[in-house]
Amino acid sequence: MNTVRSVLQTAVAISLAFLVAALFILLQRSSPFEVYMALYEYGLGSWFSFTNTLNASFPLILTGLSASIAFSSGVVNLGQHGQFLWGALVAAVAGVYLKMPGWFGTAFLAVLGGLVGAGWAALAAFFKRKYRMDEFISTLMLNFLAEYMTLYLATYPFLDPKAYVPSTRMIRREYFLASFFDVNLAFFVAVFMVFLSWWFLWKTWRGYEARMMGYNKLFATVGGCDVETDTSLILILTGFLSGLGGALLILGGTQHRFMKGIGANFGWDGVMIAIMAQNSVVQTLFYALFIGFLKNGAVGMEFETSVPSEFVMFLQAIIVLTLVGARSGFASLSDWLRARSELRRLMK
Amino acid sequence: MVPVLTQLLHAALSSATPIALAAFGGMFSFHANVFNIAMEGMMLMGAYYAVYGAYRFGHWAYGVLFALLSGLVLAMIFSLFAIVLKVDEFITGIGINMLALGWTTYSLRATFKVKGAFISQAIPPVPKLRLFLIEKIPFLGEVLSLHPFPVFVAMILTFVFHLILYRTAFGLRLRAAGEEPVAVASVGLSVRLLKFWSAVLCGILSSFAGVYLSLGYVTLFSENMSNGRGWISLAIIILVRGKPVPIMLMSIVFGILENLGLLLQRYAVPPQFTAMLPYIATLFVLYSYARRSSST
Repeated sequence: MNTVRSVLQTAVAISLAFLVAALFILLQRSSPFEVYMALYEYGLGSWFSFTNTLNASFPLILTGLSASIAFSSGVVNLGQHGQFLWGALVAAVAGVYLKMPGWFGTAFLAVLGGLVGAGWAALAAFFKRKYRMDEFISTLMLNFLAEYMTLYLATYPFLDPKAYVPSTRMIRREYFLASFFDVNLAFFVAVFMVFLSWWFLWKTWRGYEARMMGYNKLFATVGGCDVETDTSLILILTGFLSGLGGALLILGGTQHRFMKGIGANFGWDGVMIAIMAQNSVVQTLFYALFIGFLKNGAVGMEFETSVPSEFVMFLQAIIVLTLVGARSGFASLSDWLRARSELRRLMK
Repeated sequence: MVPVLTQLLHAALSSATPIALAAFGGMFSFHANVFNIAMEGMMLMGAYYAVYGAYRFGHWAYGVLFALLSGLVLAMIFSLFAIVLKVDEFITGIGINMLALGWTTYSLRATFKVKGAFISQAIPPVPKLRLFLIEKIPFLGEVLSLHPFPVFVAMILTFVFHLILYRTAFGLRLRAAGEEPVAVASVGLSVRLLKFWSAVLCGILSSFAGVYLSLGYVTLFSENMSNGRGWISLAIIILVRGKPVPIMLMSIVFGILENLGLLLQRYAVPPQFTAMLPYIATLFVLYSYARRSSST
């Protein structure tokens, strides 16, 4: 019953968001119908579009997962962007200079990227633990530092002199991730991480502690959880997921090199996905696919209509706000109705 | 040495202005106990509409008008979600920031047909003011004079806001709404209305900070040009617990650091490293804050 209601709510909210966006498209003197058709055609319309959408969503799944696990444990990790960038940069650089047998090298680079992301998040964990610095601001500031540091490394020491924008050299061909029926292996790795995370949260005692911490930190402390250690652990774990996302983008994406702006908006998209998914790991998978669909469809939208692809960024924000607004609105409305009927009952 | 120092302080006041203005906005939310983190987005939106208005109508005053209106609209959206629909304030703030980033990036492309940045000779910047008499004072005059007017607005507002917060009924009620909402409600005042006003002030001040970014500091609009200044303001507000005068002082410290970075660039330090200084400073500020609050 509850699932049915929440699915219904979500469907209503997303339709509402598309309606609001349609108004803006009309204001631009384009046809919303054409725009949405193009979005569908290029996002889901054919096997080619469909696999492209899957390939576009694996970084989103991982950053979304990172944010979801952190938020559901009451840890405010907003550092996905920086962790992602570091994972990508180190995988890209190591992929140029290290020589390893093919499949082992790929796996090694992916794990290495994850570990570097974890290391960057561990800085925030260290600040929190040692100096009691709030991770909310420290992870944010670390994003800016990561942005500039990776850009420096790609602009000076590891620059590919033949590139037009600051970027590193292309990684060795033997490290490229293979595709199965046009779906990149990176996508399967991301989905596997979703299952692994679900298992961690619901089947292990550390995961149980993390969830309790999310419900009520005081309760968790009184119940005997080592909240400090758990917080650090979650920060490092979620950093690993973001870093892995960055490394997979190098190994399984289309560029195979670190370039300026490669992190795009994956960090904040992950945060938005977690918010839409109400921090549930399974829902995160679906919302990441949804956002991936929008992003991939946006390219087609630009081809077919006069609406630029940047519109999707705005559409995404509208969808998030409408979704959370509608959810919260439904909840307070039903509370109000219940209170009113209760009052009536008492008055009789 | 002295010319370098005057230059540094002159530039520091300039860089401090957007941070201070946005922090003043967030300060009202802070006192009303609204966790408003939308300063970044409001600033960005203000910066865009300042350029839009000034470019379309050929006068900087239209830029200011459009920017303030855009800030007001975002404040309304924030209030609709956080106060009326009771969405989590943190989530609303992130949503608003994304909305502003998405909308300005899209608008830049759709309206001006450019990607990345819009630069034009036809954008009128806000005028720079000379100060009579003060200008003549040797060191102080050089530091204080010849700034775009929002710099002076920010300085004056520091004291005005101090008075408003601690000497007026509105300030008292606002702070009470944050600390003891039940008490405020019991004397017949609406806590939600006070929270709404704090959001409106935040929108107006943050978007005015945006005006300074795109029409004062430089004369252009580029994607995501607020570049974390809203977050730095938030850190400052938390650090000084929302007091106006310390907010201004801390902003000047950040201004000095930002320009120290530019100064270091002359000595062949790569720009990527000097650009990091404000963020490192924020981390350091957080560190000293945690130190101080754990010792008391």
